[in-house]
Amino acid sequence: MLSDSDSVARDVKAEQTGLLANLFGKVLDFSENGLFLVDSDRKVILWNEWMVQASSLGREEVMGAAFVEVFPDLKGKRIESVINAALDAHTASLLSRSLNKAIFPLYFSELGGENQRIEQSVTVKPIQSDGHDYCLVQITDVTPMVQREGVLRVLAKEAEAALEVAEEASRFKSEFTSTVSHELRTPLTSIRGSLGLIASGVMGELKPEIGRLISIACNNTERLLFLINDILDISKIESGKIGFVMGPVDLLAVLLQSIEANQAYGEQYEVRYVLNDVVGGITVYADTDRLMQVLNNLLSNAAKFSPKGVEVEINVIRKNKMVRVEVRDYGSGIPEQFKSRIFEKFSQADGSDTRKVGGTGLGLSISKAIVEQMGGVIGFNVPEGQGTIFYIDICLFKEK
Amino acid sequence: MLEISELQRDYITEILNISMGSAASVLSEMVSEEVALSIPEIDFLPRSVAAGKFDQTNMSKMSGVTQGISGAIYGDALLMFPEEKTLSIVRILLGEAVPVESLTEMEQEAMCEIGNIILNSVVSSIADILKKEIVSSLPRFIQGTGNEVFSVESSNHDDLVMFLKVDFGLESQSINGYVTLILNMDSLQDFITQLDEQINAIG
Ligand SMILES: Nc1ncnc2c1ncn2[C@@H]1O[C@H](COP(=O)(O)OP(=O)(O)O)[C@@H](O)[C@H]1O
Ligand SMILES: [Mg+2]
Repeated sequence: MLSDSDSVARDVKAEQTGLLANLFGKVLDFSENGLFLVDSDRKVILWNEWMVQASSLGREEVMGAAFVEVFPDLKGKRIESVINAALDAHTASLLSRSLNKAIFPLYFSELGGENQRIEQSVTVKPIQSDGHDYCLVQITDVTPMVQREGVLRVLAKEAEAALEVAEEASRFKSEFTSTVSHELRTPLTSIRGSLGLIASGVMGELKPEIGRLISIACNNTERLLFLINDILDISKIESGKIGFVMGPVDLLAVLLQSIEANQAYGEQYEVRYVLNDVVGGITVYADTDRLMQVLNNLLSNAAKFSPKGVEVEINVIRKNKMVRVEVRDYGSGIPEQFKSRIFEKFSQADGSDTRKVGGTGLGLSISKAIVEQMGGVIGFNVPEGQGTIFYIDICLFKEK
Repeated sequence: MLEISELQRDYITEILNISMGSAASVLSEMVSEEVALSIPEIDFLPRSVAAGKFDQTNMSKMSGVTQGISGAIYGDALLMFPEEKTLSIVRILLGEAVPVESLTEMEQEAMCEIGNIILNSVVSSIADILKKEIVSSLPRFIQGTGNEVFSVESSNHDDLVMFLKVDFGLESQSINGYVTLILNMDSLQDFITQLDEQINAIG
């Protein structure tokens, strides 16, 4: 027999449950996602405000109705089978936006405007409570993500296209440069040969003024040839067209050879090369000819930017796995504003036509490309006193 | 280590391949593209060995999908592929080439769904064998080395892993990946017992 107080307690409990259900319903109405719950009879028993707005179906139409009555078009679709799987086999499922285009017929209700279908990602989760099975369907509006990725896709495609154009242009440029240089070299070589013959007088004595003109022509042809050779060189190095023959190289031997090769050039500027603290037995890992090319440029630069009668010093310093070769001159140094551009192509501190010394402004950029290809570093320091120290750091050769 | 007999191995493989077949047809229908799925190999390995297997086989960067399982057995189910394979699976299935070298947010979500379909069918066949309920949770996208994926440091090294090789057949390519179920020892023991009962029942 039930006492009065029992039934009162039961009523209070029922009231509380009702209140809580109400409260939870309100909480769910605040959700930024669509939420609805299906019971084991496949009937809708919860439908939050988001769903009401997006589906234009009110709670009174939906509550207690079977899922396939609410969404007749979804009968036999994947969403129906995953809801069944959640209820029967307790599996949770995800229906992504990309693999399922617009799963539910849900729309943004825009005043006046045309209704736009909501991009959705849907999760379907089994829920067990008091021995009953339910299925929670949660819908996330992924429209912002779809738009973001749309933009990303366009940008990525554009970047790819731009890269292709740039690569094509750079390929064209380096092919153009090397073809043109080759084509220029042949006629120039024969012009220089002919001018040389005329200048030497074997074709007959020249009037002094003609001799002067011929000699100017001869010098400039020579300069042009140097320039073309340098351009050809750098375009080959940059495009990776020349292979480096890397191997053990006796550093001292290469230094002595470079110094000797530049002796005559140095004498023009009344400069003498001095090799300090000669250390033999240092073997570096390099391409001999290319290393010589770098040293020749550093030595010739040092001479042509030195005042008359001073020395150019060469130092060798061992550091760990590298060795540093320094070429120090006592010239006027490198102007501050030029320092950042010195390794660029065609850059010369004195770019005027009236400059005193020859050169193309390509030597250092070629040297940099070579040294870096060999795994080394090129740079310069400003020493105490006058002048500049150019250095290269190259790898020591290590025996296996 | 847990030893299983040839008979047990054949039995599990067969059941799993039936459910792989239905997972494949779900996927095929979704993408209107021929998809084949099969499990040619299964193994039971300690967690650390399984992690090492990924890292050795030149697949140090893996990505894939994980989901938790609970109920009759509990642990984690994972579907893993070498990172670049995940990329090609998603992009073939979505039929869109995005010139970006990692999966976008939406592509990750799509991969989660693919993994979810495969893992759910593996888990339900195991529930069928056990004749018990297994509850699965929602899929998550993961990436990392074998060790990271199995989070070996943080958990029990001796946990056994059910290690399934999967062949994902797509556009005449065969992409190899792995499904692993990380289970605690009790769950596994239970699994083997149930397996034997069923094999005996068949006769
Ligand atoms: N030792 C140096 N002292 C002062 N300036 C230098 C020195 N070496 C190079 N430079 C500056 O760097 C420029 C570029 O040198 P480089 O690339 O070898 O070309 P080039 O020798 O053909 O002019 C030179 O024109 C000069 O302005
Ligand atoms: Mg120079």
